[in-house]
Amino acid sequence: MNHNEKKVRNIGISAHIDSGKTTLTERILFYTKRIHAIHDVKGKDGVGATMDSMELEKERGITIASAATFCEWLDHEINIIDTPGHVDFTIEVERSLRVLDGAILVLCSVGGVQSQSITVDQQMKRYKVPCLAFINKCDRSGANPERVIAQLKSRLGHNAVALQLPIGLEGDFEGVVDLITFQAYYFEGESGEKVRIAEVPEAMRSETQAKREALIDTVSLYSDELTEALLAEEEITVEMIRAALRKGTLARQITPVLMGSAYKNKAVQPLLDAVTWFLPCPSDVENVALDRNNNEEPVVLANDPGKPLVALAFKLEDGQYGQLTYIRVYQGCLAKGATIVNARTGKKVKVGRLVRMHADQMEEIDAIPSGYIGALFGIECASGDTFVSPEVNYTMLSMFVPKPVISLAIAPKDNKSEINMSKALNRFTKEDPTFHSYVDGETNETIIEGMGELHLEVYVERMRREYGAEVTTGNPRVAYRETITQRADFNYTHRKQTGGAGQYGRVAGYVEPTADEDFVFENKVFGGAIPTQFIAAVEKGFRSCLAKGPKLEFPVTGIKVVINDGASHAVDSSDIAFQAAARGAFREGYMKAKPVIQEPIMKVVVETPTEFQGASMGLLNQRRGMIVGAQDEGVMTVIEAQVPLSEMFGFSTILRSATQGKAQFTMEFDHYRLVPQSIAEKIAEEAAARKKSAA
Amino acid sequence: MLKKKLMLLNPFGSMGADSEEILPEGGLGAVAAHAGVGKTALLVQLALNAMIRGKKVLHISLQDPVNKVSIWYHELFNNIVQQLGITGSHEIWEEILPNRFIMTFKVEGFNVPKLKERLTDLMAQNIFLPQIVIIDGLNFDEDVRETVTALQALAGEHALRLWFTVHVHRHEEPAIEEMPSRLATMADFFEVVIKLLPEDGVTCIKPLKVKSAFPPLFLDPATMLIRQQS
Repeated sequence: MNHNEKKVRNIGISAHIDSGKTTLTERILFYTKRIHAIHDVKGKDGVGATMDSMELEKERGITIASAATFCEWLDHEINIIDTPGHVDFTIEVERSLRVLDGAILVLCSVGGVQSQSITVDQQMKRYKVPCLAFINKCDRSGANPERVIAQLKSRLGHNAVALQLPIGLEGDFEGVVDLITFQAYYFEGESGEKVRIAEVPEAMRSETQAKREALIDTVSLYSDELTEALLAEEEITVEMIRAALRKGTLARQITPVLMGSAYKNKAVQPLLDAVTWFLPCPSDVENVALDRNNNEEPVVLANDPGKPLVALAFKLEDGQYGQLTYIRVYQGCLAKGATIVNARTGKKVKVGRLVRMHADQMEEIDAIPSGYIGALFGIECASGDTFVSPEVNYTMLSMFVPKPVISLAIAPKDNKSEINMSKALNRFTKEDPTFHSYVDGETNETIIEGMGELHLEVYVERMRREYGAEVTTGNPRVAYRETITQRADFNYTHRKQTGGAGQYGRVAGYVEPTADEDFVFENKVFGGAIPTQFIAAVEKGFRSCLAKGPKLEFPVTGIKVVINDGASHAVDSSDIAFQAAARGAFREGYMKAKPVIQEPIMKVVVETPTEFQGASMGLLNQRRGMIVGAQDEGVMTVIEAQVPLSEMFGFSTILRSATQGKAQFTMEFDHYRLVPQSIAEKIAEEAAARKKSAA
Repeated sequence: MLKKKLMLLNPFGSMGADSEEILPEGGLGAVAAHAGVGKTALLVQLALNAMIRGKKVLHISLQDPVNKVSIWYHELFNNIVQQLGITGSHEIWEEILPNRFIMTFKVEGFNVPKLKERLTDLMAQNIFLPQIVIIDGLNFDEDVRETVTALQALAGEHALRLWFTVHVHRHEEPAIEEMPSRLATMADFFEVVIKLLPEDGVTCIKPLKVKSAFPPLFLDPATMLIRQQS
């Protein structure tokens, strides 16, 4: 393994579903000799393309989770990180975008820039990922790369620059003309592995010349050398053009466009060349970690193997040899036998086997230096954990994990499913910190919790596909909360005399709302009205009331309890008696303190073509949404709103049908807000009905 | 109760209770100043004041994204309640927030027909019925006479009170009586023109054209809040 990080490319391949991403990856692996036969995506031969390692993906031909695979081209090491195409797997997308340095945006030459390409592009923009565009399926009828380039400019705002011209299109698609080298490329042999370089066909010469000049004109902005050569009318070398293109691409000011047909084995090799020429190496990209010793202040990492280690575990996989953890090293070097610290848990671990992955096959290595991607065996960790050298305390992702806002009861259909379900839940909760599961003590149901409807749906689906666990699901339930709105006094005496030792305790004080914390307990009892040894029991008694509020049995938050008086009995007072007294006191004070229900409010961002912005706002408004603002971005408008989660069920379908499928939305938890009276009554009715059916 | 306190103690009281009294329905107002002096801060306070009184404010920004505009509101609101020593202001914030709607355009993408279309979208569906509109960042360097004429008609049609920020360049000499030269030719459009002038470490709020005079006011440089000169 050579260690020239200038020759490393960590790239993602992002695309709309069905634009041929997996086929392209498969061809890349074939030409780089990582695999020796080509399979179709929806495997007629039952094998399936190599990158889709997850069952669900194989069947549907879509990619959900990201695996990393390694290949070599032109003396460069390329790590391909398979990125999820779906917006809703936000954590997954965020992780893979952290890991890659550059990307190939695959577009269909017939379908062009579709709404999902817009989403994918926006994510890349957000993370400032430089990219190349590859217009695939040039062999299909209706193929029109020129139109796709125009869409790249108008819809995505890219400064798209074609580096090639197609030789023939649709059924006649033969190869491409390279505008930089002024040569024609044909792809021959059974799988297009033989690249024949020839002169540009006579009929295309003048067009090629004109396009080449336009290309040089565009890229000259990024190179003084090229501009000077142009002005002095000197010869423009291929290297000059490539250097200028690279500069523009790294700054995200140019998107080089290549074209071909992965399925017909045409023009994949020039794309690989372009990856090595134009996409960044790890040190071209600035990576930032958060310093946990310094209030999560951002720290720029140096891509230097000699510095303390900072690495991110971005993907876990259950293999036949145990847990395989994919890891990207940003700084330092991860070596076999070294001791590293998991920044989240603080636990020290020793590095065992290190491997480099090619989808399902692996190769043993001794170290992963900074800028590289590899995998470790036998390390217990969760996805998204940062590993560091003991001397630093950095984290790649913020440690803030929002509390789940939605829950769903699930039940296994049979015995086998029950075992598999628990295996699956165990894995998923490790992979995703926003996914929780527990067994409800009262109903004995298994409850899963997460950040949204789709979030939970995906896991239920994965349980079925990957673990063979058939489960039935209940209706999704919103995580409401209770709190109080005013101060109220309590003075409660617990007295019990039913033979044997009696119980006695009196607790007095008040409850009041607090915004900062979920629960605050303050002891202001003077003169031993409640003996010190029972204070802890009193607090325990109050705490025990928080899980289920007296109003509608939702968790209680934002409450401060102050005790300032009480009474005890020399014989009959005990911990148990004071706990019972505290519970009684809580109920008494709580109901007087005007308890209310709060609901999770989501920050919803809808991105819609401007012509549908009115309709989209109408939909949000109907859902008790408060629109914060609308941002006009030319062809698109971004609407930001705050909408109660309970109103968002099924929103994606409704939004799609109202906007011809052209609008997208993302949703994340924002804050809790008071439920309006009419809705609170409805919730109370539902809670009562549920209680009745449970009994 | 808290809200009442906010209304009574609002520093805007001295400027004529609220924008309602400064500017009549269908009227246009302008706040002119150099960059970074506090035009947006002044208008956001005017907006907050109106929101507390239950008036609907449409804030149109031609330079900042929605998030940045939101931050202005949040910060100034926090400064106001902090200054008044009001606790438990969170509920008030939640209550007044629906009275605000932020719309942002790229400067070159803004025109009156587009705004009209957006307003119709909002009003026809009863999503938001603005009473006060702030247009922050309209480029008065260019000839905006036509735009302002159209906006004046729009204000009349929907009984809106329309406020503009006017960026004055440092090298620019005022026309007459401190009136920025680019406004002087259009002064007839505006019922109210206020100029912000940095003097001795504070920013004075100078009325160049008002219906009724108000006592000397300035912007506190630390909090950007309007204060009466003592």
